[in-house]
Amino acid sequence: MLHWKCRLLWSLYFTLAGFSHSFSSETFEEELTVQTLRDGKVATRFSFSTVLGGATPRNPHNLSIEDDSQHYTLFPLTLGQILREYAVTELHLTLNAGKWNYDRWGYPDEEGVGTGAELWAWIGDGAVATVDERWRDLRNALAGLFCASLGSLDELRTTAPALTFTPGALPDWPLPHAIRHASLPSEHVCTENLTPFLKLLPCKSLSGIASLLNSHRLFDADWHGMGLHVSWLPDDGVQVRLTFQAVTDPLRASSNKRDWSFASIFDRSIERACPVAASSRIVVALPVNAAYSINPQPSSDEQGYATFNVAEQAKPLDVSMQWPANFEHSKSIRLATYSVTPFAESPLSIRRTLKGSTQDHGKLSVFIQNDATTTTEVAYLETMPWIVQFYLHTLTVSIDNIVRDDLLKNISYTPPVPHSRAMMFQAVLVLPARSTVHLTIDITKAFLRYTEHPPDAQRGWDLPPAVLVPLGGLARQRIYTPTLLVDLATPDFSMPYNVIIFTCTLIAFIFGSVFNYLTRKFVVLYKESN
Amino acid sequence: MNLKRSLDAGGIVFPVLVGGRLLLALTNLSGALKRDHQLSSPLTSYLNLQEGIFLFKNGVDPYSGGVFRHSPLFLALFTTVLPASRTVSSIIWTLCDALGAWALVQVWRARQQVAKTSRDSLIAAAYLLNPYLFLPTLALSTSSFENTLALLALMFAARGDASRSLLAAALLLQFSLSSILLLAPLLLLLASSPVSQLASPRAFSANGKSITSFVAEFLAYTTVLTLASTLVSGGWAWIPQTWGASLTLPDLTPNVGVWWYFFTEMFDHFRPFFLMVFSVHLLIYVAPVCIKFQYDPLYAAFVLLGVLGTFKSYPSMADPGLFISMIAIFPEIFPCKHPIVTALLHLHAALLMPLFHHLWLNQGTGNANFFYATTLVFACANGAALTDCIWAGLMIAIGEPQEDYVVVQE
Amino acid sequence: MPHVHPQHTTLRDPSKLFYQTEYNRRLIIASYWVILIAAIPIWWHTTSIQRLSLPTSRVHSQAGKQLRFPVEITLENIRDVSLSAALQQLIHERIGGSGLEVRVRNQDNAHSVESYTVSAHNDIAFASQRHLMYPVRSATLPILADTLSTLLVPLTNSHHVAHYSPRYRLAFTLLNEDAAAGQAITSWDISGAISHHLLPILDSLSALHNFTIESQVQYHAPLAFSPISLLDGAGFGLTPEDLTVFINSAEWTLSSSVSNDPVLHFIAFIPSASRRPLQILNSQGRPSSSYTFLLPQWGGIVVYNPPPELQESTHFPPSALNSVFSTFATQLLTLLGVADVPAGVKTDSSVLTGWQLDALLRRRALENSAEAQETLRSIVKIVDQIENMPVGQDVRGDVQNSLTALDQMYTSASTSLNDTLHQSADALSLASRAFFNPGMLALLYFPAEHKYAVYMPLFASAVIPLIATAAREIRAWRRQRREVQGVQQ
Repeated sequence: MLHWKCRLLWSLYFTLAGFSHSFSSETFEEELTVQTLRDGKVATRFSFSTVLGGATPRNPHNLSIEDDSQHYTLFPLTLGQILREYAVTELHLTLNAGKWNYDRWGYPDEEGVGTGAELWAWIGDGAVATVDERWRDLRNALAGLFCASLGSLDELRTTAPALTFTPGALPDWPLPHAIRHASLPSEHVCTENLTPFLKLLPCKSLSGIASLLNSHRLFDADWHGMGLHVSWLPDDGVQVRLTFQAVTDPLRASSNKRDWSFASIFDRSIERACPVAASSRIVVALPVNAAYSINPQPSSDEQGYATFNVAEQAKPLDVSMQWPANFEHSKSIRLATYSVTPFAESPLSIRRTLKGSTQDHGKLSVFIQNDATTTTEVAYLETMPWIVQFYLHTLTVSIDNIVRDDLLKNISYTPPVPHSRAMMFQAVLVLPARSTVHLTIDITKAFLRYTEHPPDAQRGWDLPPAVLVPLGGLARQRIYTPTLLVDLATPDFSMPYNVIIFTCTLIAFIFGSVFNYLTRKFVVLYKESN
Repeated sequence: MNLKRSLDAGGIVFPVLVGGRLLLALTNLSGALKRDHQLSSPLTSYLNLQEGIFLFKNGVDPYSGGVFRHSPLFLALFTTVLPASRTVSSIIWTLCDALGAWALVQVWRARQQVAKTSRDSLIAAAYLLNPYLFLPTLALSTSSFENTLALLALMFAARGDASRSLLAAALLLQFSLSSILLLAPLLLLLASSPVSQLASPRAFSANGKSITSFVAEFLAYTTVLTLASTLVSGGWAWIPQTWGASLTLPDLTPNVGVWWYFFTEMFDHFRPFFLMVFSVHLLIYVAPVCIKFQYDPLYAAFVLLGVLGTFKSYPSMADPGLFISMIAIFPEIFPCKHPIVTALLHLHAALLMPLFHHLWLNQGTGNANFFYATTLVFACANGAALTDCIWAGLMIAIGEPQEDYVVVQE
Repeated sequence: MPHVHPQHTTLRDPSKLFYQTEYNRRLIIASYWVILIAAIPIWWHTTSIQRLSLPTSRVHSQAGKQLRFPVEITLENIRDVSLSAALQQLIHERIGGSGLEVRVRNQDNAHSVESYTVSAHNDIAFASQRHLMYPVRSATLPILADTLSTLLVPLTNSHHVAHYSPRYRLAFTLLNEDAAAGQAITSWDISGAISHHLLPILDSLSALHNFTIESQVQYHAPLAFSPISLLDGAGFGLTPEDLTVFINSAEWTLSSSVSNDPVLHFIAFIPSASRRPLQILNSQGRPSSSYTFLLPQWGGIVVYNPPPELQESTHFPPSALNSVFSTFATQLLTLLGVADVPAGVKTDSSVLTGWQLDALLRRRALENSAEAQETLRSIVKIVDQIENMPVGQDVRGDVQNSLTALDQMYTSASTSLNDTLHQSADALSLASRAFFNPGMLALLYFPAEHKYAVYMPLFASAVIPLIATAAREIRAWRRQRREVQGVQQ
């Protein structure tokens, strides 16, 4: 009896003490920005942000003890489970298709535009499970969530480029955080990836701005990509931001009309507002010095941006913009007769190629043109799967064919290990004002076991983009180079048994001959001559 | 010491040959040849050596990656003593070849027990003009050092200079694990004489005690050198990267041997087994060859060099090249069984290998099987040369071939 | 016939040469074999499939064992010894075959801690903890025996009960069919509801399971079908067929477990404003009074129609939330296999009685041990059948530990039910882990023919000459020995 009463009291105590702390404030905000680019294309960017107020990332030190219950109203539970299960502090996943053209389009709103899949996370140390174990589990969990082949972002692709992929705020835990980064440039983004992405949104694609996300149209765009960003904002809490960017081409339909509308870009309009969005805005960058008309009437119009508040606007909402003047193709880039409020223009222009026609070696050549009038330092990152090995002693940096080894400093290098570890080369590169720095390095291509080749071995291997981050003066935005394709020598895939038979027979033959000479008796015979 | 004397004795031919080789070294051929897979393997490639030295100088452990597979002694040598510039390297490599040629001549003289013969120049030429040997040297493959060390070990052993011979063998072992095969005939040679006994086989009069002390001395050198390597590289990581590589074949870059394509195409489940078989297969020759040729250990060493040239895990042209050049010091075996066939096989392989390699990797019009097939032919050629030499070595004891009589096996 | 060296030749007789001596030749052949034999262990090491022997006989001997729980019922303040004997007999008749060894004693007998007590009361039947107050009379004995039997071995619908796991994830989801249509419920006091309705239950079940609790709110959860519209504007109805396809997992983002713990879902479904009231129809097609239904082994669903006077999107009304969660609590008990007390017996409804818990513990222990035994037998059988299946140390260790846990379970059955359950659960989880060990699949698709094809090219041509030569030498050596013996004789 006494025992029973104790149990009752105990549970009562539990109840009072608060079995779990539920997060009081969760806010969801959505925003769509639309902007006409200098070459007449239209860039759209969706950003869906959910903040879990007052929350902190899970301390890996507490992984061994029972976690608090997770009660969410807006925050995606499936993602929250993964974050807490593996105690991930910061996480960025991007899936992009196409090549972002910095020269024509400037900096993107979302900096993660590297082709293919890219995943990087800052993970705290100190748990029983090591950072690498949790990184592996995280990859597999995300692969399950997004139906992407993120599982192949394995140890062969994983590097730790702390200089280039800097974290936001990190909690002040006794043990340090570590970064893990992997990219898979051959990953193809498709509808299968968008559906689970939309499921993480409170209003899915059924109401609010997200209802514009029409996969048939978006995956037809010149460039498109989606991203998932989890970060910790010390003043607010844990933020999950889902982004979708696309560059569509209205000129494709009519060769000289830049007019666009939601109907023309997405083939949809906003029928209903998302009831739980704290703010739901559409921001359109307005042209300067050019005639245009925008429909319907924006909620506000200031500093070159027209803003629509989706909740207040009449439904269905189909924002459109008309340009009375025709678009001049040839002059478009150089002599813009109008100026849109531009994306921050990139002062760096990068060309990266892999030279050499042979299948066993080559030369990586990178031209970096600095248009700015000041000397700039950039962090330069190359990550390569082990199939491509750098000959670091052949690295040269030159300007106009004059070798300038002083331009490269703080080199950190992780050599590749065949069949198991990727290569990472990270350095600080000094770019003098108005100059083109030329960087070359010899590479050698590995020969793989026949089981290590992909099914379409002749297609070649996609190599991850190089990443440059301006340090100091310029905006600290990552710049991704286009990916490269490398073709490796292939064995004959139909040969295993033939090779076993040929080689073994040859060895056995020589072995047998030697054995014969060494063991069998010689005799002299008389040969009857004719 | 007596290098000068022997040079004098060799007359004008030897300096001319070396001079010619030096001129060749100063041309820029090495730039074109250094990537050639037939002339240097991943374990002997000059590019990999340069990369390792660069990493080592810049504070990155060269053994933490998979590119550098040379012995730490090379690191010590090239970062402290020798400059690694291209031209200087070419000259050093050529001089190393000259030293090898000189050692070969000395072995020959020790075998003949004379100070000077008319054959000396021919032997030096056989070494210095053998394309299998001078092309790898031009490509700056470190197999040139291995060959020279092997010849020095044999030379000192032939002269009865046990310590130097064992030191050279221990150094050779640092550079190439499979050269351990040569230890057994070397010990026999130290305990007997280099004089040709092929015509009069007799039992080896074993002096067990001296052999034991030789083994102990060799082990001592090897231990010291291994510790030195560990000190230089700052850890034990070099062992799996250098010695381990020749057992586990992590780098499948094509070469002239039989291993690379076999293990490219091998099923993963059987890989460890066949790696074991291929390694043990090398070892299995040592005892029978040494027992059969116990009366002439130099010949046993020669036969085992032939085995290495055919079957080692990362061979380059220099390995069979050494074997072929060494034939010059055994003139008694010239009535080979099928000299024409063997020579044609070699010619065939030597011409087709670079061609098919180019077609496969550069031109893209051929595939891997082209080059694989030629390496098989090359292995046939080496095997034929090996068996020919064994047969000829045994025939000498029976006598000159005679009309109407034929020697066959029972 | 031995070969004779021809005369009249300058060639020497090879058989007289040193290297052709018998001793030398045999030494060479032997040296080949030494290396070959020395390599055999490495060969074994590099190709053998690790196939440790499993404790097969121990697994099979498990089949004969059965869990037996001694149960002691003490009649308090009842002096009549004949009553206890009669009661024991009656109970034995009812539940004799269920693994329970029931003994009924009077109070003066030795009192063990875990025993159940029955005390006489004039008119009410009341169960609390392991105590039952009952109007004990000779006439009520058969009914008392029925009651006790049902308390000890209750009937439960095992079809509904979720598979045993030491830990469950309880996922509560507030599902708005379409929040944008208005009158949605966008938040709820989940923590309060859970601590009020579920914590006492979870606490009393802590001997059986641990729980992870999580909750979420969804604003767009379309149904995969359209509920039928009822006549005369009485709203919409879900037919029994609809209920079976109610869960639209393609569109609803329900909790999926990141760990391997099973998830029990509890869904509060708010129909779209345009589809209210949504009712559950009985098999005759008429609206039933119930708004809840249970999906066996999966979870429970409550359909909540907000009152029409509700304005815009709002918080879950507390009173409604209370009733929703008390339903969830009942559904949870059903899913976990907690049986109701027999009709006619009253209890303090907020807590589970010891009778219920013990019955559940016994039931789970029996299930687990049976399943663990079954799994172990399957492992032994499949390993027996497939000769290529590797059996590593981890598999063997798991099987052995599972058997040890089972053995311990039999001995602890008479002392502690909690221990029995935990040992049975350990046995089951170890057996399952052994069964699903990925290492066991490694070589399933590498048949023997394939292996011979890989081995043959080298071994047929290299080893056969070795064997033939060795055989010939041995034959020759034997013949020589015979000849020597013959000469001696």
